[in-house]
Amino acid sequence: MTPPVIELRGVVRTYPGEPPVRALDGVDLRIDTGEMVAIVGPSGSGKSTLLNVMGTLDRPTEGSVLIDGVDTRRLAERHLCGLRATRLGFIFQSFHLLESARVIDNVANGLLYQGVSRRERERRAQRALDLVGLGDRGTTKPPKLSGGQRQRVAIARAIVAEPSLILADEPTGNLDSRTSDDVLGLLDRLNTELGATIAIITHDHEVAERVPRRIAVHDGRVSELVGATA
Amino acid sequence: MTSTAPTPEATDVRLRRSRLRPSDRVRTGLGGLASRPGRTLLTALGIAIGIASMVTVVGISSSSKADLLAELDELGTNLLQVRPGQSLFGDSATLPPDADAMVRRVATVEDTAGIISIPGDVQRNDHEDEPNGLGIVATDGRVNDTLGLTARTGRVLGSSEQHLPVVVLGSLAAERLGIDDLTGGPTITLGDDRYQVIGILDSHPLHPDLDRSVMIGEAWAKQRYGIDPNHSAIYVRVAKDRVEVTRPLLARTSNPAAPNEVEVSRPSDALEAQTKVDDNLQNLLLALGGVALLVGGVGIANIMVISVIERRAEIGLRRALGASRGHIRSQFVIESAALSTLGGALGIALGVGATAAYASSQGWTLSVPAAALGGGVLAALAIGALAGLYPAAKAARLDPADAVRPHA
Ligand SMILES: Nc1ncnc2c1ncn2[C@@H]1O[C@H](COP(=O)(O)OP(=O)(O)O)[C@@H](O)[C@H]1O
Ligand SMILES: [Mg+2]
Repeated sequence: MTPPVIELRGVVRTYPGEPPVRALDGVDLRIDTGEMVAIVGPSGSGKSTLLNVMGTLDRPTEGSVLIDGVDTRRLAERHLCGLRATRLGFIFQSFHLLESARVIDNVANGLLYQGVSRRERERRAQRALDLVGLGDRGTTKPPKLSGGQRQRVAIARAIVAEPSLILADEPTGNLDSRTSDDVLGLLDRLNTELGATIAIITHDHEVAERVPRRIAVHDGRVSELVGATA
Repeated sequence: MTSTAPTPEATDVRLRRSRLRPSDRVRTGLGGLASRPGRTLLTALGIAIGIASMVTVVGISSSSKADLLAELDELGTNLLQVRPGQSLFGDSATLPPDADAMVRRVATVEDTAGIISIPGDVQRNDHEDEPNGLGIVATDGRVNDTLGLTARTGRVLGSSEQHLPVVVLGSLAAERLGIDDLTGGPTITLGDDRYQVIGILDSHPLHPDLDRSVMIGEAWAKQRYGIDPNHSAIYVRVAKDRVEVTRPLLARTSNPAAPNEVEVSRPSDALEAQTKVDDNLQNLLLALGGVALLVGGVGIANIMVISVIERRAEIGLRRALGASRGHIRSQFVIESAALSTLGGALGIALGVGATAAYASSQGWTLSVPAAALGGGVLAALAIGALAGLYPAAKAARLDPADAVRPHA
């Protein structure tokens, strides 16, 4: 039996301070291959913290995170980085594109820290761009693109390494509703057609309702929302 | 929840490290500079100025020294001068009349020439009597060859003019007497006698005494003034590379009875000493260039720190893409070193340009030691790498989760 793509066991993340903030308060969560999960919850509930812990950008104060069955607590820094380079793809609300680099280079950077050759990176970046419908914009620079196009570039970058898990933190937060639909449709397609495993944070219920599985975060605790409507 | 043991596949994952090819390492380091050309240029300017000033100092000094040393070599590091010193009782001594002939017999001596100083005033017209510090020397013509004297205008005093009342002026003497050329047949007076000027010598840096003198024929001087035949100086041209062995012999040879009353010197030593004085000035200027470099380095460190703060999102993104702390650190160190090296290259171009301009204005040939160029680039690179260490460490220490968050 293949292990889940990601599994959180009793994860606690406390931010020091007066008083300390318990941003994640005992989270158990398991996402299997091919799933698409929406993570909803009010602002400040701990969604981003959860995503960062899932993406190994942040380490839990207590508990463990297993990715493809590997307990990340036991990994040295360089192997954690290797894990991010090969197994995880990130999509951010503010796109995080390098403004002075061409679109294709931005996408190719998704393979940069795997030690893939430049030619191979560009070849695969072109494929990823084709997939998100921007195959002809490779030599453009991000400032020339609309918000929706930018987020598609970021999505191409997230999928170019064919990661086990794609983590998106409010990917439509900076987009109008029509563009949001497009981007969400794209993620949907990646999930259903290519079998990509995706976790999307959103506080937009309209967005969440399009996703089969929904998880709610409240004060650092998660609960499964069962049923078609929230 | 079910507990899953690591599968073999998972073990592979654990062994997989993030990895950045060397060429990509450099590319990422340079990318940051290319994206901000204006700032890059301005920041590099500090280093450029430092390197330019150092290259210019070294270049100008080297060009002038190369010129001087070439001249010295031509004039002769193999020329010695024998002069009477002082007797034991502090009186001024004299050289024996046959000293010149004796010295010429030494095997390693190629050529000699003696001159005799004659007391008396040198004037343009006989009604002037202001002291002008000029002296009169009598020579027999051999001095032209031995010292390699050349005339700026007219001719040197030849042996055929030994018996004539003609005179050749040293360069400084001509200047002080207000004689610039020979048009109109200028004359001067020595004592009561009027002499025709037949030539003006070039300046001879090895022989400032001659620059300040007027020369008349030894034969004429003996006949007209009855001067005594003791030489006041004998110039000795020695076989190349035999200077050191010959020098100690000359005192005894020229005055066997009282060798301690003879002074032997090498005129080129005085000129070389002048270049040593220049070294001190050069070191001072180099130190100033060093300070400029230091300031440039601090400037780079500053800008890099600002850059790290501005680019926290980029750093966060790279960490999310799999960059390790080491990758981030090397990116910023390379960026800093490249920035500084660019400044260094710019500085070398500026410095060589400035040196070339100055050298050509002085009529020197351009000479910038290759070590100064290579050293300039290396110094800039090292300074940049050093300046980048702190900002790079700051960048590498950024918490990736914090760095990817949208910030106010
Ligand atoms: N770096 C931090 N230091 C201290 N507190 C933090 C930090 N990041 C987040 N928090 C706090 O943790 C809680 C959860 O934040 P976050 O995960 O960003 O929530 P969400 O993404 O759901 O809005 C909030 O109360 C927030 O203020
Ligand atoms: Mg958030």
